[in-house]
Amino acid sequence: MIESGEKERLKELLRERLIECGWRDEMKSLCRAYTRKKGRNNVTVDDLVHVITPKGRASVPDPVKAELLQRIRSFLASTAT
Amino acid sequence: MYTNPKPCKHLADYKLRHGLSGYNLLQEQIRTTPSGKSSVKNHQTEIPRCCFCNGYQKRLYLCLICSSISCSSHTLLHSQCENGHDIAVDIERSELYCVLCCDQVYDPDFDKIVMLKHLMDLPRSGNGVDVSAGRRSSKRRRLCSALELDLKKTKQLVSMRDLRAKSCYPLGLRGLNNLGSTCFMNSVLQALLHAPPFRNYFLTGQRNHEVCRKRSSDRLCLLCDIYVFFSAVFSGDRTPYSPAQLLYSWWQHSANLASYEQQDAHEFFISVLDGIHENGVKARNTGECHCVAHRVFSGQLRSDVTCMSCGYTSTTYDPFMDISLNLDTGNCPSTDLANKSLKPSDNTYVSTLLGCLDLFTKPEKLGSDQKFFCENCQERQDSVKQMSIKRLPLVLCLHIKRFEHFPVRRMSRKIDRYMQFPFCLDMNPYLSSSVVRNRFGNRMFAFEGDELDTSTEFEIFAVVTHSGTLDSGHYVTYLHLKDQWYKCDDAWITAVEEEVVRASQCYMLFYAQKMLYYKANEDLVCQPVSPRADPFLPIAGCC
Repeated sequence: MIESGEKERLKELLRERLIECGWRDEMKSLCRAYTRKKGRNNVTVDDLVHVITPKGRASVPDPVKAELLQRIRSFLASTAT
Repeated sequence: MYTNPKPCKHLADYKLRHGLSGYNLLQEQIRTTPSGKSSVKNHQTEIPRCCFCNGYQKRLYLCLICSSISCSSHTLLHSQCENGHDIAVDIERSELYCVLCCDQVYDPDFDKIVMLKHLMDLPRSGNGVDVSAGRRSSKRRRLCSALELDLKKTKQLVSMRDLRAKSCYPLGLRGLNNLGSTCFMNSVLQALLHAPPFRNYFLTGQRNHEVCRKRSSDRLCLLCDIYVFFSAVFSGDRTPYSPAQLLYSWWQHSANLASYEQQDAHEFFISVLDGIHENGVKARNTGECHCVAHRVFSGQLRSDVTCMSCGYTSTTYDPFMDISLNLDTGNCPSTDLANKSLKPSDNTYVSTLLGCLDLFTKPEKLGSDQKFFCENCQERQDSVKQMSIKRLPLVLCLHIKRFEHFPVRRMSRKIDRYMQFPFCLDMNPYLSSSVVRNRFGNRMFAFEGDELDTSTEFEIFAVVTHSGTLDSGHYVTYLHLKDQWYKCDDAWITAVEEEVVRASQCYMLFYAQKMLYYKANEDLVCQPVSPRADPFLPIAGCC
């Protein structure tokens, strides 16, 4: 799926959906809050990734998950040998 | 603000030893999607994997020295194995990463190289970004123009004393009588009276009404009437003034709006500026207009339309005298997510001015009925539009669209939603330089038109508010003079606390460039109460 470029396309679609429903903005404000609490100079990208990842995964809206799953399924079905 | 962060020790070391060679080698491998994301792809078919664990699902980093790939768990291991291999690139995002600091790092040289590759790959002509050096000459001209409208001569006015002055209110505060549903006019006039460069123009006699050709031939001249109006308001006389002549003059200009019905304050504002423009000195055919209305209020908007298939961007520039903003309501556009979205359509979301400005500069997908004809693809494509501010005016007027018109249903309604607004406003994030820069991710690179010495900080000086319904409502203006807020309700002027202003329902917000605002306030000297004044004489204008 990666080789055909489908993964990249699906990632783009996912990105669009997550922006549209406000998920990205929510993650942004979580990062800001964390950074403010720790102090700007005491935070690294790795820190943020570790802190945000579980929250992010948990808060993806169900319709978005459903849509992506559906597309992956149909892609796999269409390329099944 | 875009000051370059200092490189960490490891990045600095790397630069010393390797200079730009690593970046240059990388350039070839960078690919950019139409949406603006740059990634490193060395082979089309090969899937990048971590050289330690063979994993491919975490963030992957490419070592700038030996090009080996490690995942986020193993970058440190690589650095331990190979001395000095501390700097890597996030493959998916083309962003620099320091392994020892475990953090993203920034280098303008690197970003420049990524950007150049991106631009080279874009379809020719109209890629939306020009990497040439900024053009300074027009900017300098604007600064000079601003200083010209300066206050030197206003100081002379201040020394004039009028025995009729009875309070220690600042100059230029005078009630305006309502001549029959004319609060829409009064409210805007109060704001114009205190727009720093606008005020100075009329008070310092730059408008020489003695030699006005129109007046001498007994015709109406809007500019002269405004001059007379300014003189009257700043005379020191505090009794409420009736701007009848000005009203009449304006009716002549905007015949379609001449009536005793309540009008829209914003329409009046635009119409007055238009009248000033037409009555003023005829501008040269090319270049900017130098009438006072344009010099004070005009700015430039940039509109970018990007084809979603190939990334080709078409850019246009349009002048503006004010910006009309839709209220941000916090609702996400995809209504099918409404039930399960993160923000349940709640009434607790507070609209803010910054939210409205964010909405204004947000990339907007054009509907399928508005497909844009892409020069590069030579066919109509789905596209994304984004607005930004190319050049800020000296005085920024922001209009909140509270009146919704539905021509189909022949109905109009007013949106009463409260909107929070700041007293100090930094417009930097909404400039074209910032907005365009953000399209390319976290890049530290100066773009064309990066107006480094133009201030983006504004101070509020007037708020026009509306209360009531569309048909029967009332406009009131709050003025911010010398750290004190004044409520101007037609003929009645009272000092109020800032909380009152913050809680008001704003319709038009007037911000002046910070420097101009503070300079203007220095001149509004309070005149002490004259000892000979009769303290018991009622003053209808000021309470």
